[in-house]
Amino acid sequence: MATKTILIGMDGATFTVLDTLVRPSGAEPPVMPFLGELLSRGASARLRSTPNPLTPPAWVSLMTGRSPGHHGVYDFIRAEEMRDDVFFTLYDARDCRVETIWSIASRQNRRFAALNFPFTAPPNRELNGILVPGFIPWRHLRRNTTPAGFYDRLKSLPDFEAKELAWDFDQEKQSLEQLSDEDREAWVRYHLPRENQWFRIAEFILKEDAPDLLAVLFDGVDKIQHQAWLFLDPSLQPEGPSEYHQRMRSLCLDYFRQLDGFVQTLVEMAPDDVQVLIASDHGFTATTEIVRINQFLAEKGYLAWKEMPDTEAARRREESMFANLDWKATSAYCRTPSSNGITIRINEDGQEGGVPPADYERFRARLKADLESWVDPETGERYIAEIHEREEVFAGPAMDEAPDLLLVLRDHGFVSIKNKTPAVEPREETAGTHHPDGIVIACGPGVQAGRQNEARRIEDVAALVLYSLGLAIPEDFEGQVPSEFFTEEYLQSHPVIEGGVTRSVAGTVTGEAMEEDEKDKLMAQLQMLGYVD
Amino acid sequence: MTIEEEPIAHLLIEIVDDLIQDWGLDLDEPVGVDTLLVADLEFASVDVIQLCVAVEEHYGRKLGFQDLLMHDGSYVQDLALGEMVRFVGKQVSGV
Repeated sequence: MATKTILIGMDGATFTVLDTLVRPSGAEPPVMPFLGELLSRGASARLRSTPNPLTPPAWVSLMTGRSPGHHGVYDFIRAEEMRDDVFFTLYDARDCRVETIWSIASRQNRRFAALNFPFTAPPNRELNGILVPGFIPWRHLRRNTTPAGFYDRLKSLPDFEAKELAWDFDQEKQSLEQLSDEDREAWVRYHLPRENQWFRIAEFILKEDAPDLLAVLFDGVDKIQHQAWLFLDPSLQPEGPSEYHQRMRSLCLDYFRQLDGFVQTLVEMAPDDVQVLIASDHGFTATTEIVRINQFLAEKGYLAWKEMPDTEAARRREESMFANLDWKATSAYCRTPSSNGITIRINEDGQEGGVPPADYERFRARLKADLESWVDPETGERYIAEIHEREEVFAGPAMDEAPDLLLVLRDHGFVSIKNKTPAVEPREETAGTHHPDGIVIACGPGVQAGRQNEARRIEDVAALVLYSLGLAIPEDFEGQVPSEFFTEEYLQSHPVIEGGVTRSVAGTVTGEAMEEDEKDKLMAQLQMLGYVD
Repeated sequence: MTIEEEPIAHLLIEIVDDLIQDWGLDLDEPVGVDTLLVADLEFASVDVIQLCVAVEEHYGRKLGFQDLLMHDGSYVQDLALGEMVRFVGKQVSGV
């Protein structure tokens, strides 16, 4: 058995940064020489992310070849509109409505290992492969790892440390917070050993199991760029950097240097004819202003803030990452900063605050017009560069769970949902935010060397993975194999084959199908997690 | 504890032992029906949820744990494993 495909995920990787790291800088050698080698030996393109370029929808699109309107994962936090309330819970693997590439490969006798991919827990334990999920606290990594017994194999690895490896909710909250210089430095340092843990597991599996498909996701790229974009964006580097700036940049480069070494080791361990695919879920850019969308909606009369007592619990709720509103007096609101969307509350049965279904289109048009007219008084430029109705960007069976309007801010930033004024203000310091253009690189047999291509879409990576495994592309895939990445000879000897449809996913939970006990359970979970007071 | 509840107690103890095996707890006594999840095993809210999910996975269906964990809209502060055993017993027997 020999590994055919290595898929390396780099959360948030962008050519804006990588292009400079693969080249020498003055007398300094490249930070990522091996990635540079792969780029010269392989084909690459910018990779257009999902309409909201965010980890949950984007990685799920990459894992399924389907857009969010079909797979149904839109955000980290899932909301359920109730009569007089809104309940929040976390998305997980059960919310994905379509089959993943792990499942497609598994049922066609391809063994796989998928490491640190989000929304792979709870795992499908019937798959013929190894799943060590991302986004899971260390205490529950064993139970959410499959196959049974694999976690014990991990524990036998020298230096294996679950606490260092797994998702730490307290740590992750920091990625979008304004940190002190000291905390920001610690934040970057935290990700170096963490990525090393995932690399060691990938190395171990490649050596011991040699699955047909080895997929590992390094998510430190995203986390570091959120906090340290100022030190990485080539266009933001000052003439005379401070000592702190130099130290932070050096630390960030250490991270990328380490990552380059991980990629090199994994690729060199694999057989010579392995196909190497590298992809990110979105790119990165700079954000310079804070847009408090719910504050704007409050000023326009679309929502009302919930009055809270002066208690510690109330303060925690106010600082949480999802909206805390007077639902009876709210007709439109933004649920979470990461959603960059506005949800219209529908008045299905005469409850207070919602919009009657018959008024929906008129209401949404007025809301959209209000958002379009929100401009920078100094320049006349709209704060919200693009406003998409959900039919435009989330068409599909899962569209009902999407926000009614998707917003793209003029600097690509994420909105704030806090109850603070003013509704717009400059950030104290430039921060990193997601850009729609990520990366895709392919290298290996049949790939056209050194070819830079037109942008592809993130769903295409799923098709590319299946093609590299010699599998047919399901006919209901939205993603397509980027045939321009390959030589004519290779395509003739390895034609792209369209196969049957993907399999339906058992146990998919939808809002419409959710039973009362399930709703209660979600509420219970949220209260226990501290999401609901 | 009734005769019917004994196998459930064994099951839940087994699940809890499996769940906490890597946590590095220094327990005075082995896990039993008198064990308190928070006070004795240092459970956080997410750990209680994971335990409930593990039990539900065993039975292959939802067991409505909210009725055990919530009283009058508030969460119980702690829970003995025996209380969970009795609850599961009622749920699976349909009583």
